[in-house]
Amino acid sequence: MAETLVLVALGIALLAGMLATVQLVRGPDAATRAVALDAITLITLPMMVGLALVVGRSIYIDVALVYAILSFLGVVAFARYLDRGI
Amino acid sequence: MMLAIDFVVVAVIFVAAVGAMSCKNLVSSVLLGGLASLVASYLFLRMGAPDVAMTEAAIGAALTTVIFLVATRRTQEVEE
Amino acid sequence: MKQLIGSVFVLVMGLFLWSLVPLLGPSAGYLSTYFTQHGVADNHTANLVTAVVVNYRGFDTLGEVLVLFASVSGATFVLRRRDGLPTAQPWPASEFLATGARALFAPLVVFGAYIFVHGHLTPGGGFQGGAVVASAVLMLLLVNRDRHLPHGLMTWLESLSGFGFVLTGLIGLAVGGSFLSNKGLMPLGEWNTLFSGGLIPIIYVLVGIKVGAELSALLDVMFHSTGDADHQEGQA
Repeated sequence: MAETLVLVALGIALLAGMLATVQLVRGPDAATRAVALDAITLITLPMMVGLALVVGRSIYIDVALVYAILSFLGVVAFARYLDRGI
Repeated sequence: MMLAIDFVVVAVIFVAAVGAMSCKNLVSSVLLGGLASLVASYLFLRMGAPDVAMTEAAIGAALTTVIFLVATRRTQEVEE
Repeated sequence: MKQLIGSVFVLVMGLFLWSLVPLLGPSAGYLSTYFTQHGVADNHTANLVTAVVVNYRGFDTLGEVLVLFASVSGATFVLRRRDGLPTAQPWPASEFLATGARALFAPLVVFGAYIFVHGHLTPGGGFQGGAVVASAVLMLLLVNRDRHLPHGLMTWLESLSGFGFVLTGLIGLAVGGSFLSNKGLMPLGEWNTLFSGGLIPIIYVLVGIKVGAELSALLDVMFHSTGDADHQEGQA
């Protein structure tokens, strides 16, 4: 039962990721693309944790931890670049 | 089910790579390359290589993006 | 036309790589079988990849560290002292970002140190931890572009770490009989504890410090690569 729920959650997260990807490819200007990339990062994080649950190894969560901490820096760098130059 | 998710994810990486190649704006190419790096990290994790996935995460999340942005800003400054 | 040629070339390369797929897998060769059978018994590390990278293929890791050093040196050489380049005026970050960056800097450095200190227990290691430490320094540089890193300290850290790596290898040669040998000097310890693995944690700590200092110096020189005629930097 819990396994099925995790798989369903992975499927829903993947669907949300597809919608954000469509916006990333389509977006006319760079700011839209930066926000879409941030959204995709925040969606891929629970996918990595869900994968750790499905496979059953807790070491996979370290990778999600690294991404969670470092994704903020990329978005800040983009925001400063788009505003007035990095 | 995990295999179906794998197919969709590989399609996303393909679209990101083709989009990064054909974009006119350099910043958008960098962003699509960042998406390809993120999805590649998930695929490494799926294939059972957490060390490689963590390397891709540590380098592709912040460092590569910022270095490309600084390089874009520097070269544009010289041309102006 | 150029895109068509590029696409055809990529397709041909893809077919070539696809034909290599049958070579992978458990029947790939005797080396991978040897590593999986004897890796834990020889090194007592929980992370077998670390044992392969630092012990069995330690010389290649030394070559990787050398390649990283050469590329950062080359980039620093190209980017320094270009007088006359106009640059945008550094504009201050908002209060929110400045405070958040100052609050996050210490946890991020500690997290990077955690990654390379526990390289033999959890996934990670010297290169990943060093990249996270460099990202922490990048955060400070993003917020306040006038901040200059202490150039002498970075150079000394980098040089001493690289020297320590080679020195550890020579100690392994003197005690164990081969360069970077893991037999003899440090006790191998109990499996899955912090003080285990012989020389492996020491080497990974040195690699982590070296990579962190190198990438921080590279970021510093990329952010400040103009002819700062009125700012006197301390040359080491």
